[in-house]
This record gives sequence, C-alpha cells and structure tokens, in this order.
Amino acid sequence: MAAAGLKTVILLSFVLAAGFLLIILSCALWSNWLPLLVALTFVLAPLPNALFSHCGSDEFSTLEDGSGPLDLGRFITSVVVVTGFALPLVLAHSDVIRPAASAMSIIGGGLVYGTILAYSAAFKQDDSEFD
Amino acid sequence: MSIPRANYDPRRVCVNPCPNFTPGFGKHKRTVGVYLAGALFAIANWTFFDAAILSAHAKPPHETEPVLVHVTFVDWVPGICSLLGMLVVNLIDKDRVRGEDGFGDSRAVWRARLLLFISFALMAGGLAGSISILILKYILNDYPEMYKYYGYCNVSQNVGLMLSAVVLWISQSSSGEYEYSLTI
Repeated sequence: MAAAGLKTVILLSFVLAAGFLLIILSCALWSNWLPLLVALTFVLAPLPNALFSHCGSDEFSTLEDGSGPLDLGRFITSVVVVTGFALPLVLAHSDVIRPAASAMSIIGGGLVYGTILAYSAAFKQDDSEFD
Repeated sequence: MSIPRANYDPRRVCVNPCPNFTPGFGKHKRTVGVYLAGALFAIANWTFFDAAILSAHAKPPHETEPVLVHVTFVDWVPGICSLLGMLVVNLIDKDRVRGEDGFGDSRAVWRARLLLFISFALMAGGLAGSISILILKYILNDYPEMYKYYGYCNVSQNVGLMLSAVVLWISQSSSGEYEYSLTI
C-alpha cells in the first residue's frame, strides 16, 4: 500500500505541475495574465465542501445527506467549478484572450481540479477511521 | 368540527403535485440535484456576464458608425430580482409551508406562505422583465443581431435561474432513502 501510495502521489504531483504549466503558459505566451484566475478558481473549488462537511453531521445524526449546510457547500462547489470552465470561454468570446489561451487554461484547470479530486478520493480511506 | 373528505391532500401548496423524479441515482439523488442546481445557477449567470463583458469590449463593426447599444443597469435588474426570489425560496423552511398541526404557531404558516408567494412572484417578475427588456429594448428598436444577443442572454439567464430553483426545490423535498413523500 505504501509503494502504491507513493506512486500515486508522484503521478498526481506530475499531473498537477502539468496543469499549472498549461495555465501559466496560456498567460505568458500572450502576456495577458487574466487566465491565471482559472487556477485560483480551481484551487478554491474544494474549499466549500471541506468547510461545510463538518457542519452537517454530528455524531448523533443518522441521515448522511439531509442538512442545509452540506447542500450549501455542494451548491457553492458546483458554482465555482462551472465558473472555472466558463470564465475562459467568456473571455475568449469577447476577444480579451485568444481562443488558444482559453483552451489551454481550461485543460490546465481541468487537470488541476482532477488532481484534487483524485487525491481526495485516493486517500479518503485514511481519514475514515477518525470520524 | 368535522372536515369533509376531499380527494386531495389539503396541506399541499400547488394543485398539481410536482412529479416525483426517480432516475437511477438512488440515494445520491439529493446530492446530484444540488450539484445540478449549482451548475445551472452558474451557467445562467455566466451567460449574462458573457453579454455584459461582450458589450463592455464591443468594437464598432465599421469605423464610421458608433456602437449602437450597451448593456446598462436596466439589463441587470431582472437578474437581481430572480436572484432575490431564489434566495428567499430556498431560505424558507419547507416544513413550515406544509402547515402541520401542532408544529409551531399557526400564524407562521401564513407568513411562510406569504413570503413564498412574494419570492415566486419576484422570480416570475424577473423572467417577465427580461422578456420585456428583450422586446422593448432590442427587438422593437430593430438592432442588428449582435445586439439582440444581449437580450437573448438576459432571457436565458432568468430561465436558468428559475430552472435552478426548481431543481433545488425538487431535490431537497424528495428526501433520500426514507421516502416520506412530501407532496408540495
């Protein structure tokens, strides 16, 4: 398990670096640093779920998903993720950034967010014994 | 005092009950619905921001003629109305609206229904306002197609906000695995 975990960590870190490389290239090649907002958006995307997941369930509640704060966290997460994909498209539509920069930042943002999702999914079992 | 038997549930709000969507999500129905509502909310708002950013960076098609029309504050008003309506719809406790006996005082039910009515009226007013802006500002003035796009974006923003509120309501009122059917 330790070796597999180590390989997973190395692979995910390479994917994360590739994602950030794509985003920074999409900014630097045309010297227009607006697509950097995409990186910020996708880094902030898991934050609402992480915050609100502790509000919802105390140890006495049996319902897994029945509370308002959990729903609010999921709603905000979904809004932020769609924002990350929509922002480069909108900027490219109004000729603020090039279409190539838009595509690169979307792919990079998708890689970054996929890395975060895969990381939290791969190492979820370690946390589950504490709650 | 005996209440005559009726063939409908007297607690429910709408005459036609909302259809009970049971696709194959099972117990993740609520989670999927909430994520879907958030995505719809963001898509709706970004279609309008697309129009606003496009208008702010609009260049005239020829050098001689100016840009005919911009997105101004008037275009923002229907979206703000829909947003406020959606906020109030989701802040109301669904159990209050149902109005069961022995649950709180009975006047709270009346107030909750009044607030629910006002918020639905705000959302419908936002949709109607966006359509009227599309017609009055863009179609009747006979602007070319690239300016009518602003009006279409406005209408689709409000339709998307309403869809988002509907999805959120349905996914929150159909509660998980215990399936006590809340016939709103």
